[in-house]
Amino acid sequence: MKKFNYLLTVLFLVTSVSAQQNIGKKHLQLNINCKTCHTCDVPTKNEPCLVTCPRERIATVYQKPEETPELIVINELVKRYSPVYFSHRIHAQMSAMGGGCEGCHHHNTTGPILKCNSCHEPNRKRENISLPDLKGAYHRQCMDCHREWSGETGCNSCHVPLKDYKPEKKEVIQKRYAGKEHPVILEPTKLVYETNSAKGKLVTFYHDDHSKKFGISCISCHKQESCSKCHGVNRVTDNKPIKVDTKNTFEEQHRNCISCHSKNEDCSKCHSDKVLAPFDHYKSTGWALNKYHINLSCAKCHGSKLPYKKVDNQCISCHQGWNNENFKHSVTGLQLDEMHSELSCEDCHLENNFAIKPSCTNCHDDYSYPKQKPGKVVGKK
Amino acid sequence: MPGKSRRDFLKKSAIIGAGITGLSTSTAKAGPKNILSPDRMGVLVDTTVCVGCRNCEWACKDAHNLPAGNLESYEDRKVFEKKRRPDHTALTVVNEYSPGKNSNMPVDVKVQCMHCDHPACVSACIVGAFSKQENGSVIWDTDMCIGCRYCMVACPFQVPAFEYHKALHPDIMKCDFCFERTKEGKLPACVEICPVEALTYGPRTELVRVARERIKKNPDRYIDHIFGEYEVGGTSWMYLANKDFSELDFPKLGDKPAPGVSESIQHGIFAYFVPPVSLYALLGGIMWISKRRKELEEELK
Ligand code: SF4
Ligand code: SF4
Ligand code: SF4
Repeated sequence: MKKFNYLLTVLFLVTSVSAQQNIGKKHLQLNINCKTCHTCDVPTKNEPCLVTCPRERIATVYQKPEETPELIVINELVKRYSPVYFSHRIHAQMSAMGGGCEGCHHHNTTGPILKCNSCHEPNRKRENISLPDLKGAYHRQCMDCHREWSGETGCNSCHVPLKDYKPEKKEVIQKRYAGKEHPVILEPTKLVYETNSAKGKLVTFYHDDHSKKFGISCISCHKQESCSKCHGVNRVTDNKPIKVDTKNTFEEQHRNCISCHSKNEDCSKCHSDKVLAPFDHYKSTGWALNKYHINLSCAKCHGSKLPYKKVDNQCISCHQGWNNENFKHSVTGLQLDEMHSELSCEDCHLENNFAIKPSCTNCHDDYSYPKQKPGKVVGKK
Repeated sequence: MPGKSRRDFLKKSAIIGAGITGLSTSTAKAGPKNILSPDRMGVLVDTTVCVGCRNCEWACKDAHNLPAGNLESYEDRKVFEKKRRPDHTALTVVNEYSPGKNSNMPVDVKVQCMHCDHPACVSACIVGAFSKQENGSVIWDTDMCIGCRYCMVACPFQVPAFEYHKALHPDIMKCDFCFERTKEGKLPACVEICPVEALTYGPRTELVRVARERIKKNPDRYIDHIFGEYEVGGTSWMYLANKDFSELDFPKLGDKPAPGVSESIQHGIFAYFVPPVSLYALLGGIMWISKRRKELEEELK
């Protein structure tokens, strides 16, 4: 009966909420009990009857790991074991590629972080057995990863038996956990996969090109990684291809790729019988990237929308602010001498076309670049 | 009351006699206590949650005064190299299997008596020592047990173990659903200790609802099968898993109660076991008579 009433309320709320057009779609998708945030049955825009929360301490679950507490002491269920010192920040960093904050703070509102015990009951003997109890909830969070990471399920990796426990001052413990951070994750440059594709077995994946040049963020591919993705597995140290043996469908297996590359693209772009060379701007477009451009992400020139917008090879197409007065010629690797720096661009670069060889004929009869240079070579900076 | 005991004794002697000669005990034997309460309790074992810490093995022994050793020694995962069965030294054991779907972690499965809703052991027990209690547990009366091992043969899960080491006082051993503990309002010892609450204790009807909900909410995590919901007519302990139960050493069983439960013992599987059964009955009868005589003598003193 209680449940029925609850359903009715929810139904009523949903209908009345959706009737108000000004309530965001996101709000409805939260999929949480309205009572988590509202005290009355029918919150309206004018009277949202929000639960009073300590506004100044409000935190969302979308914090950066670095903004989260370093240490959390879990001491609610102390019985056989001492309190657990949980190094929160380093765990938050670790889970950045494994589901983020919501991995543990599931069903949280966008408002304050809910305590585990606001839903999970401390008593195992209880009426509502739909959710795990508090002890179960805590341990599931920890042990799921820990047993994958270490293969162990012993209690003493987190707990100290009560008999061996020496209470310490909180400051002392805090000091011990201060500054504990996950080491910077080293990014692979090139990964070669041996697939079971009939044609073009080898796939060469330039990881750093994708992350640095193409500007793809780690979590757009690595959403649900577990620690063992990097730890506890035999990382390929020899240069042998990584075997991919999967029963996934085409879509499942290529999910990350086809979010950018079209599904109908030529397979041989990635699949080949040999290890492929990285993307080469000169080969593909005829325009070599110099020292300045090579480190830019593609989006800097081609826009962030896919497919990339084409740009011509005129400097001022991108460098729109450059003009006769402010342009420092030395960035090209050639510092103009005093005489030449007085000239305007098109005196040498005919019709302001910087893609073709500069010409000296405007002033000199028998001079030609690069045999003769209008200054000194400084090397590109 | 020696008088009553004697009457009891005579009645049971008659049953044994009938068992030996005609094997049609079901008509002659006193009806065992066999309650199927709508409020009976059960346990839902979620093998996708179990981490194989074996704390439950320790807690079970500890609660039943069996040599348990210290809890740390249970961290040793080498035991998983062999598949084990519950026996008289351990009423429950955890076995490990290769990962199921969408997971790269091994599947750990706790094994113990299933506390069937229509227990074959209860029907098979010729002296009525076994009973299904109101709270769902299937227990037995040590004093009544004659050590005939009918229950061992009858159990579709091969659960009851025999305490061979006490020749003079043979006894059946199996999980008793912590009958003494739950009577005092405590949780079964294994349920209480489980760090991840892979074992959920509650009314059986509620457990079925919870199990269905879990499968519905996480179709990637589970196969669509609650083992024990219907098997052999339903069991109080039920299981969820992410791979076929036959790959986890669960027997393939129909939805009907095990043979021999509703029919007379002569039918069903016992029909094929006539020679050993008669032998057991005979041996059992003798054992029981001598055991009982000793007790009677003491009572009469
Ligand atoms: S599992 Fe075996 S011992 Fe347990 S109740 Fe069922 S028949 Fe009896
Ligand atoms: S219910 Fe009790 S007897 Fe049965 S396995 Fe659990 S602890 Fe052991
Ligand atoms: S205590 Fe719980 S998690 Fe540990 S082995 Fe037993 S059932 Fe599994």
